Amino acid sequence: MPLLDIKNLTLEIDTPLGWVKALDKINLSIDSREVRALVGESGSGKSLVVKSIVGALSDRWKVTADRMNWKGQDLLSMSDSQRRSITRSEISVVLQNPATSLDPSATLREQIEESIADSQLSKGWFWQRRQQRREISAQQLHKVGIRDHDLCLGSYPHEVAEDISQKFALAMALVSNPKLLIADNPTMGMEPTTKVQVLRLLAKLNKTRELSILFVSHDLLAISAMADTMTVLYCGQTVESGKMGQLKRRPLHPYTKALLDSAPSFRRDLPPKAALSSLDGTIPTLQHLPIGCRLGPRCPRAQKECVKMPDVRRIHDHHYACHFPLHRDKI
Amino acid sequence: MNPLLTVSNLSYCKKDKSWFAKQERFSLAPVSFELKAGETMAIMGENGSGKSLLAKLLVGVARPSAGEILLNGESLHDKRQRFQAIRMIFQHSKESLNPALTLGSLLEEPLILNTDLDARERKRKIEETLKLVGMLPEHQYFYRHMLSEGQRQRVAVARALILNPQVLVADEPFAALDPSVRSQTVNLLMKLQRDLGLGFIFISHNLGIVRHISDRILVLEAGQLVESGKTDVIFNWPKSDYTRRLIHAYQALISRDD
Repeated sequence: MPLLDIKNLTLEIDTPLGWVKALDKINLSIDSREVRALVGESGSGKSLVVKSIVGALSDRWKVTADRMNWKGQDLLSMSDSQRRSITRSEISVVLQNPATSLDPSATLREQIEESIADSQLSKGWFWQRRQQRREISAQQLHKVGIRDHDLCLGSYPHEVAEDISQKFALAMALVSNPKLLIADNPTMGMEPTTKVQVLRLLAKLNKTRELSILFVSHDLLAISAMADTMTVLYCGQTVESGKMGQLKRRPLHPYTKALLDSAPSFRRDLPPKAALSSLDGTIPTLQHLPIGCRLGPRCPRAQKECVKMPDVRRIHDHHYACHFPLHRDKI
Repeated sequence: MNPLLTVSNLSYCKKDKSWFAKQERFSLAPVSFELKAGETMAIMGENGSGKSLLAKLLVGVARPSAGEILLNGESLHDKRQRFQAIRMIFQHSKESLNPALTLGSLLEEPLILNTDLDARERKRKIEETLKLVGMLPEHQYFYRHMLSEGQRQRVAVARALILNPQVLVADEPFAALDPSVRSQTVNLLMKLQRDLGLGFIFISHNLGIVRHISDRILVLEAGQLVESGKTDVIFNWPKSDYTRRLIHAYQALISRDD
């Protein structure tokens, strides 16, 4: 049984122009110990998926799903307190841009000690409990690779370097020993050496603690180094999902191919200074969503049928949603 | 061929005026390089290694403490000439465009400040430049929020190009962009470079793009010039440990085959 199983998740937002489907029938499942990448450009709804998993959405938005299960329990029908206790103890999120998501007015020590639940401490007098909190936070920092914990814990978020605050946010997320870690763009704007460090750390945690990871990013280089499976989002629709290697070797959806081609690192045969292939235009805004397959206006293979939303088809465990996938010749 | 831009022994030193002694806080060691017309140079290095500072010194935002910058063999004393010849593209195109001005007036500002063109000529120049970067003349009446991300990036390039510069300096121009917009911008810059023979200096963490578009690489570490040379030489035979570490980190990311 998968750890997290989402089928046909739809999120509707009330705009002056009527209800708009910001997420349209998203399918996503994460097995235990799996590293799944969620790929998409900005505006494709990656962060909305993350927020709807942890339930951090506005009440005015409508979330519906055929299935949204956490270990077999339905997340949407349970009470708020039940859901909170699950997100408190079993799912952790590292938010985008940790330097700004940390509280600037409190030291890092106060912030990490606040995130240690009382249930993790053994009974004792308050000074003993305080001592335990200190020990746990120091241990956590050591685990993510921050050696000088006293220096780090004593400083404010603006005083530490970006990679340290990234690691710190990771430590804070791992305090509760979660089953699933959702990392929202954890390598954004990092230099290669730091990036590799953070990725190694995540891979190690995945192996040693049996942690499942949902890796949300548009950095294909990091994803391909890290993930087992990949789900590609475009404009609030799942476009393709499957094993990382399979997807990389033989993408079936035109968008996945365009995304992979846009990274020059994957194409060793590309002569230097040759033009990179890219789709024309940019991702449409929520006010101007095309009907049917939302890639339609930008797709090189689009035809008349594309105004209808394609059904999800599958070849083994490789799912895709396209009327004219790449393994078929153009009609 | 004569070098377009010659930088010799450029250095920068920031001192804290302490009560007792002058303490050196950060310094950029003497850096020298040459850039030919139509050539692309990438600056690599970790955060805080002085990459942005070097870019700022080149465009004249910061004042170097020693060394000189020669353009076509002449030193850059005339400010106006310098501002015309070396232009900068900023990292966040959205934040660097004024939300209260139309694109036309945004692009007109450098023309008013730096040239003697009259209103009609300025307008023609703006339209030409917009067409050059693949936008329509009508876009001059648009505001920043009406554009998509890719178009904003084009406007940022247009603003740099409008004074017919010889050298473009860009500080992480691709970092904040999505993959498809990034490829579009890379293609646009390469095309413009071919057509206009610009020298292009850029800072990037994305080694894939660095390897793809740059001719030469400059590696900085903590203000020191560690290594410089041709792109394929640096990528295949890095000399210093520091460069090797950077390249290995990059190779480790792409070489997982399964």
